[in-house]
Amino acid sequence: MSRRFRIGVDIGGTFTDGTLIDAVTGEVRTSKVLTTPDDPSRGFISAVERLASQDIDRSETDRLVHATTVATNAIIEGKTVPTAFITTHGFRDMLEIARQIRPSLYDLQFEKPEPLVPRRLCFEVSERLAADGSVVEELDEGSVRSVATEIASQGISSVAVCLLHSYRNPDHERRVGEILAEELPGVSVSLSSSVVPEFREYFRASTTVINAGVRPIVGKYLETIESRLSAADLDRDLLVMQSNGGVYPSAAATDSPVFMVESGPAAGSVAAAAIGSALGHRDVISFDMGGTTAKASLIRDGRPSITKDYTVGGTAQSGAGAFGGASGYPVRTPVVDLVEVGAGGGSIGWVDSGGALRVGPHSAGASPGPACYGLGGKEPTITDANLVLGRLDPEFFAGGEIKLDVDAARNAIEKHCASKLGVTVERAALGIIEIATAAMVNALRLVSVQRGHDPRDFVMMGFGGAGPAHAVRIAEEIGVDRVLIPLEPGTASAMGLLSTDIRLESTTTVIERTDSVDASALEEAFLRMEKNGSQQLAGAATAASDNAFERWLEMRYYGQSFELSIPAAEGAIDTNALAQIVSSFHTAHEQAYGFRVDDEPVEIVNLRSTAVGRIQNPKMRELPADEGDAGAAIKRTRQVYFQESEGFVETPVFDRSLIPPDSSFSGPAVIEENDCTTIVPADWEVETDTFGNLLITRAGSTARSQA
Amino acid sequence: MTTASDPIKSEVIRSALTQVAEEMAAALRRSAYSTNVKTRQDFSCAFFDKNLRPVAQAFTQPVHLGSFVRLIPQAVETYGAGNLAPGDMLVVNDPYSGGSHLNDVTVLGPVHHGDALIGYVASLAHHVDVGGGAPASIGPFREIFQEGIIIPPVKLVRGGEIDDDVFRLILAQIRSKRVTAGDFRAQVAANSTGAKRMSELFDTHGSAEMQAHIDGVIEYTSRRALANIAKLPNGRYEAEGFVDFDGFSDEVVNLQLAITISDDSVLFDMTGCDPQRRAPVNSSYAMTFAACAYTLRALMDADMPVNEGFYRHIQLIAPEGTVVNARHPAPIVGGWETQVRLNDLMFKALSISMPDEVAAGCKAMMAQAGFGVIDPRNGEYHCNYEALAGGYGARSDKDGPDAVQQHGQNTENAPVEEIETHFPMRISRLSLIENSEGPGEYRGGLGLRRDYHFPEVPATFTVLSDRDHAGPHGLFGGEEGRKAYYILNPDGGTSDLRELTSKCVVDVAAGDTVSFQTPGGGGYGPPERRDPENVLKDVLNGKISTLRARDIYKVAVDTDAGAIDEAETRQLRSAQ
Repeated sequence: MSRRFRIGVDIGGTFTDGTLIDAVTGEVRTSKVLTTPDDPSRGFISAVERLASQDIDRSETDRLVHATTVATNAIIEGKTVPTAFITTHGFRDMLEIARQIRPSLYDLQFEKPEPLVPRRLCFEVSERLAADGSVVEELDEGSVRSVATEIASQGISSVAVCLLHSYRNPDHERRVGEILAEELPGVSVSLSSSVVPEFREYFRASTTVINAGVRPIVGKYLETIESRLSAADLDRDLLVMQSNGGVYPSAAATDSPVFMVESGPAAGSVAAAAIGSALGHRDVISFDMGGTTAKASLIRDGRPSITKDYTVGGTAQSGAGAFGGASGYPVRTPVVDLVEVGAGGGSIGWVDSGGALRVGPHSAGASPGPACYGLGGKEPTITDANLVLGRLDPEFFAGGEIKLDVDAARNAIEKHCASKLGVTVERAALGIIEIATAAMVNALRLVSVQRGHDPRDFVMMGFGGAGPAHAVRIAEEIGVDRVLIPLEPGTASAMGLLSTDIRLESTTTVIERTDSVDASALEEAFLRMEKNGSQQLAGAATAASDNAFERWLEMRYYGQSFELSIPAAEGAIDTNALAQIVSSFHTAHEQAYGFRVDDEPVEIVNLRSTAVGRIQNPKMRELPADEGDAGAAIKRTRQVYFQESEGFVETPVFDRSLIPPDSSFSGPAVIEENDCTTIVPADWEVETDTFGNLLITRAGSTARSQA
Repeated sequence: MTTASDPIKSEVIRSALTQVAEEMAAALRRSAYSTNVKTRQDFSCAFFDKNLRPVAQAFTQPVHLGSFVRLIPQAVETYGAGNLAPGDMLVVNDPYSGGSHLNDVTVLGPVHHGDALIGYVASLAHHVDVGGGAPASIGPFREIFQEGIIIPPVKLVRGGEIDDDVFRLILAQIRSKRVTAGDFRAQVAANSTGAKRMSELFDTHGSAEMQAHIDGVIEYTSRRALANIAKLPNGRYEAEGFVDFDGFSDEVVNLQLAITISDDSVLFDMTGCDPQRRAPVNSSYAMTFAACAYTLRALMDADMPVNEGFYRHIQLIAPEGTVVNARHPAPIVGGWETQVRLNDLMFKALSISMPDEVAAGCKAMMAQAGFGVIDPRNGEYHCNYEALAGGYGARSDKDGPDAVQQHGQNTENAPVEEIETHFPMRISRLSLIENSEGPGEYRGGLGLRRDYHFPEVPATFTVLSDRDHAGPHGLFGGEEGRKAYYILNPDGGTSDLRELTSKCVVDVAAGDTVSFQTPGGGGYGPPERRDPENVLKDVLNGKISTLRARDIYKVAVDTDAGAIDEAETRQLRSAQ
């Protein structure tokens, strides 16, 4: 019998957000405290303390779920622990050579990213496997012991091991691990065949090294959190959000922290998936816009799309092309497939040497902030543009806590943009918004159209502090007919933490053609992974209500290099099931790339198993019925500039907290709440549901996915 | 405000146009078969407007994009725009029809909006084999006819369907048929994606508006290019150099160039380069043009778009019948060696007035390695092709990176585990080459060594590269990097140890190893001015020896203490 309360804590760059859900009543509480970068666990515990105030019986707390950037920050800030790297004889320089490409094509002054392990800490051992896993040269244990001696003399606390073809045969790596455990007691060892047993050595090595480099840090961090929780009488299961949108127990997080590098952004996608699903929308485009960036991701059939083509610590942005990733370090773990662009409320508008208006990637951030904050910011930002266009209320920003200076915003736009372009301030402000919109539209296209999905089949969910102000305009551009603005859009991400399952991923590389593979061998491989997964789930038994296993086959045409993930239907894999899987692959390939070759051999590269510990999603709370009219929620009217009408329009301003459930009204409208403003152009209709969410629909549209 | 002068809408549409090219690139890469295309990204995609002006391109290989500019208009004009119906696509690789070497095969097709022609999509992929005298179609030959199948612009796709007759005729010339067929299909898929998306863009914005904005984007780029050119220091800058080996003769291939920068133009004059050779080092005009485009673009703002508005400012004099503008039937396959060396020389020429903008000598060779093996299990002929990285030249305030691609080339390495899965061979070593850097106050990058071992099956191995005689040049007192080496069985094997040339085809026996060793980058500034701490770091990382630290950098390192011997270093340096 699970207890009543669940607590989620999401630590971001500026704020630490907490959410508490009462599973019995559906009541949600939120808290927001400043992040404490010197020791994030302090912010964590004060967010929790605010939630679990006097009227909460702490013994009724079920568990805590946490999203953290502790792993990512260590990588980006170069604060990983000194790590040694061990590989096969002849390949010591694998990490330095990396992909041998430049991150930018035309920059003669470029720098390659510093290797995660300096060359003096990269070592070779004598051994060699062939591509089929057979032993070409036996492991020379003496060579391992002498490397261990050198590592010991350097005072290293973490070691990554990646031997060639270990994804096919882990024996040598395991033996290296055993010897290191004997020779280097207390030193953390990460084996590539355990962390991410997939082929392509550099990608596997990079993933393993990152795991090794953050492992002691994450271990210590989670230990601190747990001891603080214990001191606060909240000695409960601590679960951590992974990059794939599932959570895992803190013990697993300590072991494989590389699976949580995108912990924070994943929470937003999960929130969009959970809220969408609860409302019957299984296909959702998630649009999460904050102060410095906007993040887009795709949710299909209630689940965020997952990718393994991911780099951490780089400067990759939309439009950087295929080499953007070369400025960072590849991580081959499943990550929610999201595109992040440098367009947030604080992104700066400017005019380049060719006379074109540009927005970002520079951001005024929280300090000096947008010009209108009056905190010393002189350059015009997206927030300034919104203010000039009447989309924000100077008197009611952040619930009235910050007064915005319209003149300062106008002056900044005039000086830096309008005068250079020879246009009015309003026109330049609109330009800033439209260019940012274009960048965000591209991000949404990348996750939808470029993956073969038509955005018109999706509902878009806009959230994050700036998401609701831009969502409808963007929906218009990409042809989405329905936009959902959830309750509490500013803290929706923290909600995601409380609505996800435990998901433990494992993979096995097979590299077999479907016309020659033995189906029963695939079944056995899956069963092996599932047995392992069951044991791990058992370790977190209190958290999950029931267990399930998902099976994926990563497949391609024999000879290709990029795999498509094909789900296996329930039931054992036999010849018939395999034929069905191959047929699904042809269809998926056609959808992704526009062609299929039915007589071409198909190859299975990896088997991926996900052990899922299902967690009962919290119910949303229905608002008390209210026969009132939405018109009563109109606070006033004001002049708002709309693109469509090419000028200012007298627009009603609604107080969201006063809009009754199950009511409707038409745009143009501005809907204000404490931390967000939603902008609705003419030709869009707003409806509220019984939970208080806003569904904004294009007038006259027939929503396609509802059919 | 007129449409074309609306800077905001133009920016929006420019992003969308680039996005189309990027989507094409993603489709090509993900559905291709050869390691060279799918993993190494040896391909490019672009959109041209109906007047055959380059408008948008995906950021992949600059060498391709520069040569596209010549190829696409020539191919369409030769075939006749009126002979292309919706859904048709041409295939072309003929260097004498505007192309580059035969491996670079372009598939292009018209894009229609309704019935109206609105432009062309094109994708170029370096095919791993196009037939000819050696596996991977690289090697020293006397005429273009020996280099592989020559494809003038012919229709490969009619109304959306690949013409089976043409396709079979092409594939019959090619060793690695299955992989090549897959790459062709991926190119067709990429073009279809591009055409569809472009047509949708015209739907969204309207045809007249799109045309106006395409003009606007080009004019905007042109204005920015001019603003950038105006900032470059006026003058005439000259350099001389050479390609080390033409594949047959002992005479180096002399190169000579002059760049004249004025307020509003940049002229590249190649007068003085050697006459073309009956050897593979000849560059086509399109390839030479691509070298100029790379240099000019590298001197401009990082976020400059690249389209007709940029390319129109490149002026090139390349006398016909020379190694920089060869006449039929000169062989072309190694023309990239000449082409990329020109880039090195251009930056050398400009170093006088732009010392902080350029780099010292880079690898400046394509470092192409190919092999062919017949799989004993099923008789299938496999070919592999790849191009290796080398040391990058040092800059005025930083070292040249180790083992990285340079100039117009930015192809990835093929993962060892991927190569060994596909072919019956092993990569027995992939490492940096210690002590290969060009010494300097800022040092050049280290070269790369990759050893190809054929344990059980004999193979035909091809090298098409350069730097047999000299390493990349240093600047301002910086020294030359180590030259390249190509060695059969450096650590023993079935055949005897032997040094190979940079352009050769060798039969290797089962048990043999070919060691491909690329050069180190040139140094910048005198090595005895190098910060001793940086010398120490290199010594501790094993990148340079203590002996080299002492002899060349005049820094004494106490290896036991892991520290600089300050007193001795002072003495060494004061003796200068």
